[in-house]
Amino acid sequence: MLTNPKTLLRAAFAAATTAVLMAGSLPAAAESGDEVRKLTLISRAQAANPQQFQGAELIAQAWRKLGLDVEVQGMPRPQQSDAVWYNRDTWDLTMWQMVGRPERSDPDELIYNLFHSSTAEKGYNFVGYVNPEYDTLVEKQRVTANRDDRKVMIDRLQDIINEDQVYAFLVHPLQTFAIDKTVWNASSTVVQPGLGIKNFWTYTNIEPLGDQKDMILNSSDELNAINPFYISGATDSWITELIWDRMMRIGPTGLAEPWAAKSVEWSSDSMSVTVTLRDGMMWHDGTPVTAEDVVFSFTAPVKYAPMYKPFVNGIANIEVLDASTVRFDLSKPNAAFETSTLSKLNLAPKHVWEPLLAALGEGESAESIREESRIGSGPFKFNRWANQQEVVLDANTDHWSAPKMERWILRIVLNVEATLGMLRSGELNFLSDYTGDPVLLIEASDADGDLDVVESVDIGFQYVAFNLRRPPFDDTAFRRALSTAINRELIRKAAYNGFAVTANSVVSPALSFWHKAGIDKELPTGINLAKSILEEAGYVVEDGKLHYPAGQTELFGE
Amino acid sequence: MKHDKEIYIPGRGIHFLSSVSRWLVSASAIPRRDPFAFAGLLLYLIFILIALFADSLVTHNPREILFDNNYDLARNLPPGGDHILGTTYSGRDIYSQLVWGSRGALLVGVTAAVWVVTIGTVVGLIAGFFGGLTDTLLMRLADIALGVPFLPFVIVLAAFLNPSQWNVVFGIALLLWPQSARVIRAQVMSLRERAFIEAARATGAGPWRILFVHIAPNILSLSFLYASIAVGWAILTEASISFLGFGPSDSVTWGYMLQDAYASQALGRGQYYWFVPPGLCIIVVVVAGFFISRGYEEILFPKLKD
Amino acid sequence: MAYFLKRFSHMLFVLWAVATILFFMFRTMPGTPLAAFIDNTTTAEQQDALIRQFGLDKSLGEQYWLFLTNLMQGDLGQSFFFKKPVVEVVMEVFPNSVILTLTSLIVAYLFGIMVGAYLAWRRGSWVEGLGIPLVLTTRAAPEFWLGMVLLAFFSFHLGWFPSGGANTSGSDWTSSWQRVTSLDYLSHLALPAITLAIYLHGLPLLLMRSNMLNVLQEEFITMARMKGLSTWTIVIRHAARNALLPVATSFALGIGGAVGGNVVVETVFSWPGIGRLLVNAVSASDYPLAQGAFLMITAVLVVMNFIADVSYNLLDPRVRVETR
Repeated sequence: MLTNPKTLLRAAFAAATTAVLMAGSLPAAAESGDEVRKLTLISRAQAANPQQFQGAELIAQAWRKLGLDVEVQGMPRPQQSDAVWYNRDTWDLTMWQMVGRPERSDPDELIYNLFHSSTAEKGYNFVGYVNPEYDTLVEKQRVTANRDDRKVMIDRLQDIINEDQVYAFLVHPLQTFAIDKTVWNASSTVVQPGLGIKNFWTYTNIEPLGDQKDMILNSSDELNAINPFYISGATDSWITELIWDRMMRIGPTGLAEPWAAKSVEWSSDSMSVTVTLRDGMMWHDGTPVTAEDVVFSFTAPVKYAPMYKPFVNGIANIEVLDASTVRFDLSKPNAAFETSTLSKLNLAPKHVWEPLLAALGEGESAESIREESRIGSGPFKFNRWANQQEVVLDANTDHWSAPKMERWILRIVLNVEATLGMLRSGELNFLSDYTGDPVLLIEASDADGDLDVVESVDIGFQYVAFNLRRPPFDDTAFRRALSTAINRELIRKAAYNGFAVTANSVVSPALSFWHKAGIDKELPTGINLAKSILEEAGYVVEDGKLHYPAGQTELFGE
Repeated sequence: MKHDKEIYIPGRGIHFLSSVSRWLVSASAIPRRDPFAFAGLLLYLIFILIALFADSLVTHNPREILFDNNYDLARNLPPGGDHILGTTYSGRDIYSQLVWGSRGALLVGVTAAVWVVTIGTVVGLIAGFFGGLTDTLLMRLADIALGVPFLPFVIVLAAFLNPSQWNVVFGIALLLWPQSARVIRAQVMSLRERAFIEAARATGAGPWRILFVHIAPNILSLSFLYASIAVGWAILTEASISFLGFGPSDSVTWGYMLQDAYASQALGRGQYYWFVPPGLCIIVVVVAGFFISRGYEEILFPKLKD
Repeated sequence: MAYFLKRFSHMLFVLWAVATILFFMFRTMPGTPLAAFIDNTTTAEQQDALIRQFGLDKSLGEQYWLFLTNLMQGDLGQSFFFKKPVVEVVMEVFPNSVILTLTSLIVAYLFGIMVGAYLAWRRGSWVEGLGIPLVLTTRAAPEFWLGMVLLAFFSFHLGWFPSGGANTSGSDWTSSWQRVTSLDYLSHLALPAITLAIYLHGLPLLLMRSNMLNVLQEEFITMARMKGLSTWTIVIRHAARNALLPVATSFALGIGGAVGGNVVVETVFSWPGIGRLLVNAVSASDYPLAQGAFLMITAVLVVMNFIADVSYNLLDPRVRVETR
């Protein structure tokens, strides 16, 4: 039968067809791994943060050109936090941001907490970056007192992050603020690098021009809490800064200056610092501020304020030298102590808080305490908080740096159109939180003539976070390729309407001393470049879909 | 409540289908008589056609972010040239989104209407016909459904489940059937006593056959009436949910367009060509539903005629 | 009397049923209930302690029993986000919603009744031919769309009304009554109330009109005409009074439905009401607060349904709701 020429021909034909078909599928098995799974890029919802959402969509569109199946998922902030912070093994990609705060004028806070391996499980290193070389160097810069030596180390740290592409940095946003210059003397505002005119010094220095002596500001977010032991939100901290004093404050230069402290003296070995309180400091209820209050404010967080605990951990002992002098003994030298601790911890009255803390139940922290009167010693006194509507603070005329305004009123307006409308009609006289299109604000200002618009580069930044725990994001080349595919200029112009500066580091150009000059130019971008990086790393595109290098399987498919 | 004029008395061996076809003939008489119903049906037809042929009617991909010749984002372009209705803040073609939105609207509207009407009709038929304990149980269920605030419920659903258009349909299906169920039930109860039913029983037809073959066709007009209202209600609810930020961000519906315009400060920029058309489309589709239901209301409640 | 008791117990049943559904819905929904409460630095022991404190370690049945007994004592739990009793947070904003709802409904119904009666009188004229589609259009427009357009025109463009909120920043009042009757409050109330009224007036208008048409055809009207009474007397004395009854009950039902449905208008105008509170609570995964706000809205709805039922029965003994 087999010798029959017809059968032979048929068999040969069948064999040939099979061979061709097999050849079609064989290379797939031999040259590339599984198809990369569908990736979800988490972002804030469009209405809440249109720039971030728009950025996410542009980024997803670029990545699809690499052969990836990417979907953008917008969600409210608490849901995003839930997904990213508390379920660290489940997400792949997210848009995220670090907010600019005065304490972040020293890069230590961010450069340490974001990338040190100790904070990978529960803290700020939610991407899961573990690099022993980085750990050693960042710990070293923290104990180096000489600024120039520190700068060399911080430059190197920025380089390491750039090499490893741990984040795909996007931009440092340009914050836009506006004041009504018929109500306020525009030259009495204070500009603080990275924070613009919206800062503590403006509030205490600004001069009213006429009858309106109340400052009315806005927030686009609801308030969570007003509690000196709770870092409950960016907006909340504007208020706590005003009600409670701190030993030092970050001044307009970006460096820590004595505030409640009359003097701050370091020992020669940088292991202890002696702080003397100002004379005549009083709490809002009339009792004087003493060294006991200071000790209390720095020791209570260890047990009761989990968000402040990391900043007081390095204090081995606090010694009361007299009624207004205190000495902090540190367990290790800490170059950033003044910024990260003395300028951050709030001074709270012991006679008010000690009984409140004693009444806490098991597992409760100071965060759950709702103090009715909110007694501090700061330049503003708490008047009232009408839930979802406004917070009213009265000027503390007895304070050594008493404000020139009468009241500080924060209005909660969730709708950005209404916010702009209220500014133009005079219902607001200080635009402190504008999440809308800056072009519209400038047009309004030109049209009305009574607004002063001020822009400033933020200390903070926006970025895409990769989850380094999950392949292919554990592959540096893959991350680099994805980052290379993002056109930062496009994001800057399209998502932020030009009101941003491209970023490639946690250290913003607003911090001119620490920022590594030119680092944002050190990341060339382009789709073709991205594709070649992927190719070199062994990834293959088949039928328009990206596949892993040979032999790799998709571990996290649907 | 209902008048006898339009009840059909099936003779021996008449099937369900011929009852329905007879109903359809009389149903189509309405548009001929009432200009409103005719207008409503015409509008519905136009939208259905637009939705079906959306692929060919759009000028761009509604979800694609567009760039102009300088590789700049094609944002906030006024109507004209390539873009019949201009572009959005994120560089998408408004006209294409509007056309594509008709699909989403009709999908949500029709699915919701089908569910509401099916559940409402079946419940109404069974409760009205069988009475007794079944009736009591079903009506208690209806009371509970009526006791749940509608929009808050859909919001909670949308927030806890993944954002999707089906949350709206689900919410509507769960909560909006009692209105139609009650009315149909009342109708069935009055029909139940009619002589022709006795006649059918005398010929030995079982309860289910009587229910679905003899009674059902006579209440179908009521079902249709509630269906046309439900379509509008579903579309309005989907718009509200999207506006509040609980809608899916990857599908283009009219509600999504309005939310996008709102979040992008379209009004502050005077972009009425963005904000007004989706609102108008919603109004037109919902009003069409009202017109149709009004037309049928005329024959069902003819007291209103002179 | 028996009827009243029957409906009352029925109302309690519905309230219980909805509360139960709500409870199980929130507890079995996906997502960690405590996510918003536990922050990034809470240790594992603290998390366990919190879970115990909120009773989330108990069985579902036990939690349910606790929920019911607390509910009957008026305790709705504690808000995760605000760390205050839910009842307090809800009651801060509830009066604003009630005032908005009542004001809009009163305006809508007064307008609707008058115009509805007028349109019934002018049956067959061009006024009716134009009026009806116009009214239907107001019912077909999304409320928030209407609100945004009104806001843009009357507030941003003309500056006649404020852009949002319930009071001017930092204003003080001597009492709640003084606050809600102040010109400031009323000027903030105006736009949202008008928006809602435009949307809500369609129902009473059409209802009044159709009832009037029915009544106008009835025998005794013809008799009255034959007696020679003036048209106005006929309208007011006989037709309107009888036609008003269903409208009155729909007013009660309207309150029930509107309190929950106001959420979009409250969002557009930043009106501090319970609808907005619910949306924010849900977004923040603050589920005790979301549950509490939802229950409050439900309570209003169910109670108003009950009132509508009972008052219909009381006002018109000729019509009895079918006994089941």
